[in-house]
Amino acid sequence: MVLKKLANEKDLKLCVVMVGLPARGKSFISQKIVRYLSWLSINCKCFNVGNYRRVLGVDNPKYGFFDFDNLNSYNIREKALKLAFEDMLSWFDDATDNKVAIIDATNSTRERRNWIIENCNKNNVHPMFLESWCDDSETIMANVKDIAITSPDYDGMDEKLAEDDFMKRIENYQNVYSTLNTTDDKDVTFVKLINISHEIIINKIQTYLQSRIVFYVMNIRIKPKCIWLSRHGESIYNVEQKIGGDSSLSERGLKYASKLKSLIKENVASNDEQNLSVWTSTLTRTQETAQYLPYKKLEWKALDELDAGVCDGMTYEEIEEIYPEDFKARDEDKYEYRYRGGESYRDVVIRLEPVIMELERQENVLIITHQAVLRCIYAYFMNVPKEESPWVSIPLHTLIKLEPRAYGTKVTRIKANIPAVSTYKEKGTSHVGESSSAKGSHNLLVNAPEINQN
Amino acid sequence: MTSSNTAMDNQDAKQSKENNTNYMARTTKRWVEPGIRLSPKHSNNGDAVHEPVFDVEDFISPGQLYSTESGCLFHAGRILIVLVGLPATSKTLLSVAITRYTRWLGVRTESFHLSKYTKTNTNIPSFLSDEFSTVEGAEFKKEIINKVTNDMIKFFDNGKGQIAIYDALNIRKSERADIKKTFENNNVKVLFVESIVTDPNLMTKNIELAIQSEDYKNWGKHEAIKDYTRRITDNESLYERMSPIEGVSYIKYLNFGERIIMNNTNYGYLVNKIVFFLMNLSNKQGCIYLSRCGRSDSDKYTDDEVLNEEGLKFSEILTKTVIARVKEKGLERKKKAMEFNKNSKDTSVTADPSVNNDDNLNSDSLVVWTAERKRTYDTAKFFKEHGFDVRKRSQLKQLHPGVVADMTMDEIKEKYPNEVEEYERDPYHYRFSRAESYHDLAVRMEPLLLELEHMHNDILIIAHESTLRVLYGYFMACTSLEVPTLDFTRHQLVEISFNPFNNVVTRIPIDI
Repeated sequence: MVLKKLANEKDLKLCVVMVGLPARGKSFISQKIVRYLSWLSINCKCFNVGNYRRVLGVDNPKYGFFDFDNLNSYNIREKALKLAFEDMLSWFDDATDNKVAIIDATNSTRERRNWIIENCNKNNVHPMFLESWCDDSETIMANVKDIAITSPDYDGMDEKLAEDDFMKRIENYQNVYSTLNTTDDKDVTFVKLINISHEIIINKIQTYLQSRIVFYVMNIRIKPKCIWLSRHGESIYNVEQKIGGDSSLSERGLKYASKLKSLIKENVASNDEQNLSVWTSTLTRTQETAQYLPYKKLEWKALDELDAGVCDGMTYEEIEEIYPEDFKARDEDKYEYRYRGGESYRDVVIRLEPVIMELERQENVLIITHQAVLRCIYAYFMNVPKEESPWVSIPLHTLIKLEPRAYGTKVTRIKANIPAVSTYKEKGTSHVGESSSAKGSHNLLVNAPEINQN
Repeated sequence: MTSSNTAMDNQDAKQSKENNTNYMARTTKRWVEPGIRLSPKHSNNGDAVHEPVFDVEDFISPGQLYSTESGCLFHAGRILIVLVGLPATSKTLLSVAITRYTRWLGVRTESFHLSKYTKTNTNIPSFLSDEFSTVEGAEFKKEIINKVTNDMIKFFDNGKGQIAIYDALNIRKSERADIKKTFENNNVKVLFVESIVTDPNLMTKNIELAIQSEDYKNWGKHEAIKDYTRRITDNESLYERMSPIEGVSYIKYLNFGERIIMNNTNYGYLVNKIVFFLMNLSNKQGCIYLSRCGRSDSDKYTDDEVLNEEGLKFSEILTKTVIARVKEKGLERKKKAMEFNKNSKDTSVTADPSVNNDDNLNSDSLVVWTAERKRTYDTAKFFKEHGFDVRKRSQLKQLHPGVVADMTMDEIKEKYPNEVEEYERDPYHYRFSRAESYHDLAVRMEPLLLELEHMHNDILIIAHESTLRVLYGYFMACTSLEVPTLDFTRHQLVEISFNPFNNVVTRIPIDI
């Protein structure tokens, strides 16, 4: 009988152990999991063994360092793993809410993996191995190029030389690499993604949390891509300072809609343009904003604006007057506050699940949606803590380009230079509009490169 | 209204006058406006997982996040899930479980069991090897396959259906290719789910279940086992296992989720969500028991009181009732296993009578989950004294009643007449100020539902009535209209037991 006793275990700590050759997207996947789980309010932290090796003084190792016959360097690498592991254990001890840790390293030998299993068992941590296996040279080369440019190991090195060195490093790993398989590892909890999820092997999943992580990584594609975000153009309700509704665009909003086409054309690489698809909500203002775009379009109910319930169609001043308690409660905990008959930010995050999963699977998508929904999506890609996410400033008539990378998401915002009202409401006031202080910690777009489009 | 409309152009202003004031109101609510509300269809104890959904206009299920006008969700298109596998590989159970879960999410799913079609013709033995030796048999097979295929096509074309699950052996490559062609021509994606059982205990359990079915109604146990194991061996030689060479999308499901292999299944969210579910589904031996907590002095939402004497008494009797019932069921299983072994003598299958059904219950065979409130947790105190594992689960927290906490319905009606009117229109989705709706509760309990799917042995859940309604609603496939009306009294322990075809509720009296 298949007994799944773990399902009822208390305070289970989970350690996701990455497995795979260099340039298989391990760090990328690790960071993705951290962002996704944090977004769902599950505490998660990644421990990158390479960083510990650098702490031990090996900053720019050449490929020879990764020769497994080189005993000296092998010991250093082993020490780095142990340091990472110790840090992980103390992080677990810090708070009972610290639930998921990720050990990001190649972990390519069975010997190493056994060491991890043994030490996890000793410390009541449950390991789950996550292997990214890939023999598609195109994907691998794209990753190699990316690492040669971005990895701290190759700081200041010529790109071409870095690539060559990295290829040799991979070779060194290849000599000792043993992939997870269903014979030797049949009793181990593991997931193996083969060639970007063309085939996936899921073995001995034992808890809900594990299954949730697997469900998520099934959707991840490690190919580089761009996500484009835009609010709808300025709507009549925006001008009237009313929230919600299903109004049409204002004159200026319509201008943005017609400019959006050229804005995209000028900024999207031509290869990407061919397979660009546009997702809108089911509300009029997003569809009007997308009307001139010559791409495939999908309407998502899940992208509809946060439902303001009884407050739909009111101005913030009216809400403050009619529902003063609600108004205050919302400012105090904007993430959890639910409008009467409506939704909270948390509710929106939950209903966005299908959109986020599909988004991970797709290559290039432009999402035209609403302020609160965009804040949630933005928080997901940028790892914005949930207390801050409802306060992120996302101005109208601005196209946001996101490029998810292994160590973070690159943001570019492209202003259409068409004036629009501000719909940003600061804490503690019913006035809308961004004061200079609002551009402080909440405005996470401020540090991003900005392009003005004329 | 103080706002000035300076930026609004003339045309808009005109339009605004013509259409009155609310021309820009949000008309597309999260829920498609209900048409004619269907009254709850099935009575108290039935599992509604087989009730048709395709002709229901306003199908909104409890776990659904939003509804769309097309009736389809997640841009997933229409999907046919074709089960593949020998007899006794839990195909029926899988198809019913996927139906239950996806319907809970709001997807219009229906399972089509080929075995139901064979029963219409009693002259032909129900024995359905994949290749009939006689002409008559082959004709019959062709006929029923046509029939089920047509029904599935109808389900997609006429009835807003999104997922159909085809439950039959489908062990021949050629058969699978035919199905794929037919449905892809109808613009339906086809996904194969191959169930493989190598674990002998699982296999035995499946055979035990099979010989209790209608097919073997008037058979002797020994003959039935013999016949059924012959069905398996006969088909084994015809079985062509799925592999990448076949060039189709498939999921291999080994020993009830011990291993899952997905091949070329780039179908998106909905299929991945089903795999997510399959990772949690387990082969259930035990039951789920639902009970309310004992009473406290004032039984108020706002206080976190401890149990009073009556409550303690209740807890004691509840503990006795549950333990007696679990023991009884364990003995029954043991007896059955021994009887099975007697009857399966000259076959290769044996049941293991010692699996988790000792006379003495151990801490693995029953666990107790409670909400975090004192009176709920305390209701489990005698279980703790007996050495059972008792866990507080925050997700079991009762529905937050908001401003109407601790008010009687009359008081609420007096104070919030308009709200009550709205509540009565949609008691599942409506929430009073600061309150949670049943829908909110169902969404927040999702992790718990999947954890429950994961449990193998008996579990008792002690919680507030609102929470029990949602749990019951999931396992018995209730509609969102029914969930708020379900009744749980302190005089009954509700037992949900699991069968491949449907779940069964037994109400056990608690004598207080």
